[in-house]
Amino acid sequence: MSENLLEQLQTYAAQSNSKVSVPRKGETFIDVDQGHIKEFISHVVNDLRILHLATITGLDLGENIGILYHFSQDKDTIQVRSTVPKAQSTAVSIVDIIPGAILYEMEIHDMFGVTFTGNPWINQKLLLPDNWPDDLPPPLLKTTKPAEIRKRLHLEVERK
Amino acid sequence: MSDESKRREETAGLMEFSVENLVPFGPIHPALKEPEYFKLILEGEKIVQVIPRIGYVHRGLEKAAESRPWVQNMYMFERTCGICSFVHSLCYGQAVEGLTIYEVPRRAKYIRLIIAELERIHSHLLWVGLMGHWAGFETLFMWVWNDRELILDLVEAISGNRVHKSMNAFCGVRRDMPENMEDRIVERMKFITDRAHYYREIIDTEETMLARTENVGNKINQETAQKLCAVGPMARYVGLRQDVRLTDPYAAYDEVPFDIVTRTEGDVRALLRLRLDELVVSANMISYAVKHIPEGPIRVKIAPIIPAGEHSSHCEAPRGEIFYYVKSTGGRTPDRVKSRQPTMANIPAALELLKGQTLADVPMVLTAIDPCFGCMDRMSFLETESQKQWTWSGEQLRQYGIKHYFPDRFNSPNPTKFKAVP
Amino acid sequence: MPHRRPGAAIPEMFRQMLEKPSTEAYPYKPIQLPDRFRGKLDIDPEKCTGCQVCAVVCPAGVITMIDKGTRKVGDRELPVRRPLFDLSTCIFCGECVDNCAFRALEMTKLFELATPNKADLIMRKAVEK
Repeated sequence: MSENLLEQLQTYAAQSNSKVSVPRKGETFIDVDQGHIKEFISHVVNDLRILHLATITGLDLGENIGILYHFSQDKDTIQVRSTVPKAQSTAVSIVDIIPGAILYEMEIHDMFGVTFTGNPWINQKLLLPDNWPDDLPPPLLKTTKPAEIRKRLHLEVERK
Repeated sequence: MSDESKRREETAGLMEFSVENLVPFGPIHPALKEPEYFKLILEGEKIVQVIPRIGYVHRGLEKAAESRPWVQNMYMFERTCGICSFVHSLCYGQAVEGLTIYEVPRRAKYIRLIIAELERIHSHLLWVGLMGHWAGFETLFMWVWNDRELILDLVEAISGNRVHKSMNAFCGVRRDMPENMEDRIVERMKFITDRAHYYREIIDTEETMLARTENVGNKINQETAQKLCAVGPMARYVGLRQDVRLTDPYAAYDEVPFDIVTRTEGDVRALLRLRLDELVVSANMISYAVKHIPEGPIRVKIAPIIPAGEHSSHCEAPRGEIFYYVKSTGGRTPDRVKSRQPTMANIPAALELLKGQTLADVPMVLTAIDPCFGCMDRMSFLETESQKQWTWSGEQLRQYGIKHYFPDRFNSPNPTKFKAVP
Repeated sequence: MPHRRPGAAIPEMFRQMLEKPSTEAYPYKPIQLPDRFRGKLDIDPEKCTGCQVCAVVCPAGVITMIDKGTRKVGDRELPVRRPLFDLSTCIFCGECVDNCAFRALEMTKLFELATPNKADLIMRKAVEK
C-alpha cells in the first residue's frame, strides 16, 4: 500500500480508538467497534476511494462473533474487523453505503444468527432451507455439531 | 430529496409488490441449467423488479472443512464447481501457503498458469455454446462444444482427468508436464484461435444472434457496477479495468505478457465479444508460457501442520474474482475457511440488468452473467387477500400428492401403509 | 451499425458435412486413453507392509486397516495390518499412490466400474494374501 494511504488510515483510526496492525506486507487489519463502524467504512469508500468490497466474513470467537470486511485495491487488502457479543447479536448494516453487500449480510445472518439493522431483506433466508427448525442454533457456530443437523433435518444416510 | 434518502428509498420497499404480476422463474425451468429461483414482477411484458432465492445446492462445505486435515480440504474445495475446479484449489492453496515460510518454485508457477488458462478457454467455449443454445441456434452449440473436446483432450493428457485435474499441492504441483507436448500445444492453440475468430464473425454478422443479443440487457454505468461489487467480465464490459491477473499478479502472470480486454457498450453482445477476445488472449499466453518454461523442481514438501495466523488470497476464475480466507490456530485442521464465488458477487448486478427487459429475454440475460449456482427445493404459497406466506416441507408435499391421487386409499383401515417416513 | 451478412454459417456447414463424424465409436471399438489416465486402483500385495499411510491421507475414506495378528521382532510383538479398499467411494485423486513409500499402489486404465452390486467394488487382495 502506498505509505500515504497507510498514514491516512492510521490517523483516521486513531481518532476513533481503533487499532491498526500489519502482520504481513500488503495486509492491514483494523479493529473498529460497532459504534464507529459505519463512519469508518464510509470514510474508506467515499474519501479514500477504496471501492471494491471482496466479501464479508463471519468468525466464531468464543464469546463474540467477529465480522470481517475485506476491501482490496491493487496489491493490498484491508480487513476491517468488528465484534458483536453472542448474547445480543445485532450489528449495523452498510447497505446504504455499498448496495452490493446485501447478500453477504444475509449469509452471515443465516450462518451465525447476526441481525443487521437496516438491511431490507434480512428476514429472508438465503442459504438455509425453509424448514430449518427454529430451535436449532445457526450452523457455523462451533457448538453446533453436524450430526445434530443431520438428525433434525432427517438427512441420515445409512452407513456400512 | 438528498442522495442519502433517495438511495435508501431505492433499496427499501423491495417487498411491497402487487401479487397479480408475479411470475416465478425456476427453480426447475427448461431454460436454466442449474436450480435458481427468481420472482419476476412484471408490468405487461416488462420486468419491474426481481427477487432472488438461492441456496438450492448448498452442501455445507465451510462447516465440513473445519473437521478435515488441510490437504483433504484441497480435494473437497476442488469439487465446489466442475468448470472452474482448478482455480478453487489454486486459491485455497495460495491462501494456506501464505501462512508458511516456503516459496513456490518457478516451474510450478508456469505449470499452474498453463492449466488455469486452459480452464479459462474451455469455460468460455462452454459459455458461447450455451448462449447459442438459449438463442435457439443449436448448430453453434454443437460446433463450439466439438472444439471444446480438443481442449479437454489436452487437459487429460497433462493431468489424467478431464474435469477434476487434481494437479495442485501446497507449494507446487503434483505432476510435471509430459515430454514432447510443446508442439502439440502450440499447434492446437493456433487452431483454437482461428476458430474463435470465425465464431466472432458469426456473432457480428449473423442475423439471429444479432437480434437476440444487441441492446438486450439494461445498460449500467461504471459507478453502479462498482457499487454493486460486480467482478470479472461483468465489470470489464462497462469499461472498468478490473482483473486480478493485472492488478495483483499471482502464479506466473507477472512474467508472461498479456493485456486485458474491456468493452464499453453495455449489452449482451458486448459480453459475447469480450469473452471470445479473452479466449484469444489466453491462447497466446499458453503458447508463450510453453516455450519459455524454466527448468527446476516442481514441488516443496511441507509439514501437515500449518502455523497459526490468518491469510486471504484471490484469483481470477473464468467468471470473476474468487476470494478465499483461511484462519489457522496451529493444528491439523483449519479453524475457518471462507470461500466466496464470483457468481454470488454478480447477483446484485444481474438483478439490475433484468430491469426493463421483456420476459422472453430472461434466459439470455441470466446466462450472460455466466452463472454457476445451486439450492434446495421447496414449494411456497402466497395467499392473495392477506398477503400471508407459508411453505410446505417435502413430506407435506408427498402427503398432499397421496391424498389427491388415491383418495380412497388414504382413508383405508390400514393407515400405516402410507405413514410419513421421518 | 454492424454489417449484417446472413449466411455466415453456410461455408462451415458444408465443411462439416464432408468431415468424418466427431463422435467416438466407443462401445464398438476400444477407446484411446492417455498414459496418465487415472482409473481403478490396483495393489501389489507382495510390496505392502501395512504402514497405513495410505489410509491416513485418503480424502474419501476408502481404506480401512484390518488387523491380522502379530509378529515377533526381536523380543517385541508388533501388530500386522493390511488395507481393505472400498472402491465405491474412491475419487481417483491418486494421493495414496503418491504417498506410498513402497510403490505398492498404482492406477490402472480401467474405468468401466458401474455395477448394480456395490460389494463387487471391495478389493480384498492385500487382506487375503
